[in-house]
Amino acid sequence: MGSGYGRGHHRSKEPSVNESLKPQPAGPGTASLPEALKEWRERHYDAEVAEKGEQRSFMSDVGIKIAPLYTPLDVDSGRSYLEDIGFPGQYPFTRGDRAGMYRTESFVVSAYSGFGDAQDCNKRFQTLVDWGAEQLLVALDLPTQCGYDSDHEMSTGEVGQVGVAIDSLADMEALFDGIDLTRIKRVGTLGNSIGPIVLAMFAALGERRGLEWSQYTVNLQNDPLKEYIARGTQILPAEAAARLASDCVAWCAEHAPNWSPMTVCVNHINAGGAGSSRSAAIALSNAMHYLDLLLGKGYGIDQVAPLLHMFPDERHDFFISVANLRALRRTWARLMKERYGATRPEAMALRMTVYGHGQETLQEPLNNIVRIGFGTLAYVLGGASYVYIASYDEAVSTPTEESVKVALRTQQILANEHGFIDTIDPLGGSYFVETLTNQIEEQIRGALSEIEDAGGARAVITTGLGRRWMTEGAVRRQRALDSGSRPWVTVNKWPQQPNVPNTAFRIDSRTLQKQLRRIADVKARRDPARVEAALAAIDEACRNGSNMVPPTIEAVKALATVGEICERWKSHFGVFEPSTDF
Amino acid sequence: MAASERKVRVLVAKVGLDGHDVGARVIARGLLDAGMEVIYTGLRRTPEQVVRAALEEDVDVIGISILSGAHLTLLPRLRKLLGEAGAQDIGLIAGGVIPQEDIGPLKEAGVNEIFLSGTPVPDIVHYILERYGDRA
Repeated sequence: MGSGYGRGHHRSKEPSVNESLKPQPAGPGTASLPEALKEWRERHYDAEVAEKGEQRSFMSDVGIKIAPLYTPLDVDSGRSYLEDIGFPGQYPFTRGDRAGMYRTESFVVSAYSGFGDAQDCNKRFQTLVDWGAEQLLVALDLPTQCGYDSDHEMSTGEVGQVGVAIDSLADMEALFDGIDLTRIKRVGTLGNSIGPIVLAMFAALGERRGLEWSQYTVNLQNDPLKEYIARGTQILPAEAAARLASDCVAWCAEHAPNWSPMTVCVNHINAGGAGSSRSAAIALSNAMHYLDLLLGKGYGIDQVAPLLHMFPDERHDFFISVANLRALRRTWARLMKERYGATRPEAMALRMTVYGHGQETLQEPLNNIVRIGFGTLAYVLGGASYVYIASYDEAVSTPTEESVKVALRTQQILANEHGFIDTIDPLGGSYFVETLTNQIEEQIRGALSEIEDAGGARAVITTGLGRRWMTEGAVRRQRALDSGSRPWVTVNKWPQQPNVPNTAFRIDSRTLQKQLRRIADVKARRDPARVEAALAAIDEACRNGSNMVPPTIEAVKALATVGEICERWKSHFGVFEPSTDF
Repeated sequence: MAASERKVRVLVAKVGLDGHDVGARVIARGLLDAGMEVIYTGLRRTPEQVVRAALEEDVDVIGISILSGAHLTLLPRLRKLLGEAGAQDIGLIAGGVIPQEDIGPLKEAGVNEIFLSGTPVPDIVHYILERYGDRA
């Protein structure tokens, strides 16, 4: 602390005022901070380490070695509070995207849910809203996400399994039956490879209820590029998919600027192994790819950048996670301002959706409640706007109603108890967290430079750079686990057998039959001429490059199915080529 | 190692629509590091495609990674297709998230072994070498 503490009468020699104002003042005795730190480190810390040893390497997942202690020396040099940290809601937005942050509106308590058929799933949705979920994100089954109808051969065994089966607007209407879209903060889905279709369904859903699009808010993930790197629901070649995704943003910019039609994801790339900093760089390069497509169509950065959100991710290291969110906001703000010339604060203030995870285990899954709680707390301390959270049994199966309730209550506890949200950016100013924020920003920028040298977002896919980073990291993580260098309770410390309990949630065995009946019924009652005309308009939009969303809205309203629309896309754009690298 | 000995050949495969292939790729790398010859199919293969690849590549064992919940449909189908192709001797192992009560029925349907998510890679290497190493 300041040498002002020495200005009492107990000292024989009172320091002059000038001395008392010197930076890095003396600790005990007269040493400067660097000298005092060196003395502490060598004579005290290292001496204790020499005697007892350190418990482990303290290497974080992103490769930053955590130091035993952080001091003002780590954060002072070459940094300015106003330029680098600033105030919430002000450039460079390190401390938050809004001035009031959680003091005026808490993070949005959200649920990602879906299973079986629309009617079964609707009951779960009603329950979630009753429990206090403020946002519903529909988990779609894999056939829907990959553009296959429930009656397609590729859908065998998968209908309703990891999400709800949606074949047509009729299913979407059943799914949201009785749920007031205007009383819920956001509704949406991932729909990464079918962005225009799910956007069209949500647009048509409101329209058929007589709502204006400004009366409710739709959120999509709609980030296909990362599917080719990490998540694997891609349908088309990447360039065509990026165009369709950016069409959704363009359509919203004109018709529903309050919607958030794109959430650019770090999450799956990090889960795949790339580490949170490199994954953030890949996500940023993907975001810039979409933005460049939009700018190429004549939209302004101030018009479209506010419609993009990001989905950061860090599951291994708590303080790295807090710093990651802060660093990502700062990096985004600087890119938008310096590279794109954004002038509106909304274009520079990055809003973030997170999905709380820990390193969950199949061993003793109740422990995952604690892991997920801490993982989510880090995101809250980092200032995320929209919070989803894993259920403790999510590693096992579609979550049970009980585990979903625990997840939702965990968010509500974080938002209401313990004083977690009482002040804005509570870890700002921590020597440790500010140092990590600087280091992570450097890592993200360094990785972004590597990506750009390699050729940008497309090259991450085509050169295998993204998969290489993921595999490197995944193998490194596996070795750290197998060797025990990264402790994991019940896995490599106090190891237990993994177990998938028989109580794992199962979907109703009649789901497929119900879904096949429904799809047959829809096809019987719709007007075939209207469907064909709508699909022909989709063909035309494929050919002439006009925005895909308007003809897709018409097709969806005509009850064309997800599979029928995707088949048209495939016949024009072709299909993706799976990578066999490992 | 005698000159005539050939390395164990493994086909690591993703079947169905499940796109999470990190586990599959980490296992593939681990088996490669352990001295096996490894082929990875890439995403979204049908059981027919996997069996065809296994025959073309003359593998000793197929390792399926499956996390989507479609295991009760897809794994028995793979064993049936192997039988129809006269390749009953090719091993079929699976890894992923598979409830305890499904393990018995899957083994009855001809799946040789199940490794749940979180199994250390050396355990899988050990199993494959012990069971299929001498056939190579």
